[in-house]
Amino acid sequence: MLLINNLSFFRDENLIFENLNLSLGNGQITQLRGKNGSGKTTFLKVILNLLSSKTGEIFWEGQNINKNIFNFYNQITYIADHNTSSRKLSVLDNINFWKGLSSSNLSNDETLLLLETFNLKKYLNTETMYLSSGEIKKLELLRLILEQKKIWILDEPYNHLDDSSIEILNQTFVDHTNNDGIILFASHYNPAVNDLEILEFS
Amino acid sequence: MIFIKKIFLFFKRESKLFFRNVVDLFSNILFFFLSIFIFVFALGADEQLLKSIGLGIIWSLLLLSSTLSLRKFYEEDFNSGVLVIIHMRGISYELLVFLKILSHFLFVQMPFLISIPVASLLFNLPTSEVYNLMFTFIIGSLILSCLSSMSASMNLLNKANYSIGGIVVMLFSIPVIIFSVGINEVGSDYKSLINILLGLALIFLGISPWVSAAFIKLALRNK
Amino acid sequence: MFGFLINPSKFNKFVDIILKPLIFTSSIILIAGLILVYLSPLDYQQGLTVKIMYIHVPSAWLALLTYSIMTIYSIIGIAFKMPFSFIVNKAVAPIGAVFTLLCLISGSLWGKPMWGTWWVWDARLTSVAILLLIYLIIIFLDKTFENKEVREKTTAIFILIGSVNLPIIKFSVDWWNTLHQPASVSKLSSPSIDISMLRPLLVMTIAFSLIGLIIAILRIKAEILIRKHR
Repeated sequence: MLLINNLSFFRDENLIFENLNLSLGNGQITQLRGKNGSGKTTFLKVILNLLSSKTGEIFWEGQNINKNIFNFYNQITYIADHNTSSRKLSVLDNINFWKGLSSSNLSNDETLLLLETFNLKKYLNTETMYLSSGEIKKLELLRLILEQKKIWILDEPYNHLDDSSIEILNQTFVDHTNNDGIILFASHYNPAVNDLEILEFS
Repeated sequence: MIFIKKIFLFFKRESKLFFRNVVDLFSNILFFFLSIFIFVFALGADEQLLKSIGLGIIWSLLLLSSTLSLRKFYEEDFNSGVLVIIHMRGISYELLVFLKILSHFLFVQMPFLISIPVASLLFNLPTSEVYNLMFTFIIGSLILSCLSSMSASMNLLNKANYSIGGIVVMLFSIPVIIFSVGINEVGSDYKSLINILLGLALIFLGISPWVSAAFIKLALRNK
Repeated sequence: MFGFLINPSKFNKFVDIILKPLIFTSSIILIAGLILVYLSPLDYQQGLTVKIMYIHVPSAWLALLTYSIMTIYSIIGIAFKMPFSFIVNKAVAPIGAVFTLLCLISGSLWGKPMWGTWWVWDARLTSVAILLLIYLIIIFLDKTFENKEVREKTTAIFILIGSVNLPIIKFSVDWWNTLHQPASVSKLSSPSIDISMLRPLLVMTIAFSLIGLIIAILRIKAEILIRKHR
């Protein structure tokens, strides 16, 4: 259960958002909706403690995240709009790096199956720089499943995806919430997902 | 245990990145040798002259050649967002900087160690000077890697003027060169100079993680 | 008639016929050359060390020959846009680099007992060292660019610019009177070197050329295969 209390954030004396409250329980998927520049990304970064000088508290499972921030981080997969894969390393190298960092228990067979579902298996040993931008984005989104974390926080996940990939991503979201996962994402694209909680930014 | 595994994983990734970009390493070494040629043509190839100043030329060029790869220290990882991910997985920014300095030392500076004997050959330096050069280079290049880390992290905040990072490295490397070259002139008292060098290395190894991490955090906040 | 020099498929056909006999002949010539070197006379001044000359001089000639071949193919490649010439450039550059390195190292080893120093900045040594750097830059240029056309053209142009170094190497011993000795073997005058030393020298040169040729052929074949595979 992720609880966000009275969160306000100032940047250079400009108020970005004020007194926001949000609670995210198991199986819940929440969208931050709003125009560009409305503060969605800032809100996500404040929740992740990547920006400081905020007022308000964030509680994960009853404990203030400031008490043990790495404990909180260890439950999260965070995917922003940039690609954390290294261009010069192969797809397999990047996957092994992500899996190892997250101490993921996903077996090699399951990984290969995952790649095949997303149509990336042929690139297993190719350097990432040879993939198209949509495929690199898909590779990045694979982190959600590879890292096996409970909380998924995403910033504009639907950018660069074609229709079939959007479908697969929606399905992945649904599967995760069925397994008591928590999803929070910011997007100006409104996906066709049931039981979507919406927080408007204006 | 898991933590140590993550550190090894990080190193494995750095080494893989290094080996995919071997051309960069060879370019650095080529730059080093080309600048030696330039120096020789500029000074005139008098053998006695070269023998007496060869040590200084080699040290200066080693310093300049290692500032060539300044840009690649943090920039790509910063832009791709991998720094944040690594941080979120339990490796603090300070530890990340420390590991980056070590891998820079191993993969960028140590290959120069092989070029030093060849360069000394070109100048016909006496063997004792070559040994001293290699030994002081091992310690001095560690200091240079720390300095490079600090200036590269400074560069993250300032996209316009890239040379400022290199300038900072050059400024602080003056004491390094003074003490490294001084060993050859002091004779039997060389141990004190080596101690000073080691002290400098430890000091910089100690402060650069904090300084660099502070700059990185600042840059991430203002991204 | 000389289509194998220009056309990849004719090259492959020609080479498939001559490769095995070529390997056989060059092994024999190499062995014959080594025997001749073993039997060749000692220099009255230098003793045994003069025999380094039988490695040093052939590798020097071959370094220059390789670069000349690359220059010719670069001109053809840029003028007639012939892809095979760029294949040859890419394949042959490392061979030239190795011969230059061999020349420099053997020269250094020869110089230490003869002149007391591993290296001296005389005109010929310096320009051969620059030749090595040019070879290395050629190899790097090939790995730097990702666009094939840019890569090949840039490398070819750089080869042409670097070919200025060849006459410098050749005539540096005449223009600047420094350590190296002037040329002893030339087409225009009878050689000033004794026949008993000339014979092993020529045989070793032929042996080196054939070995270089074999390696070049293998590399060119490999490069053709790589391009076909893409």
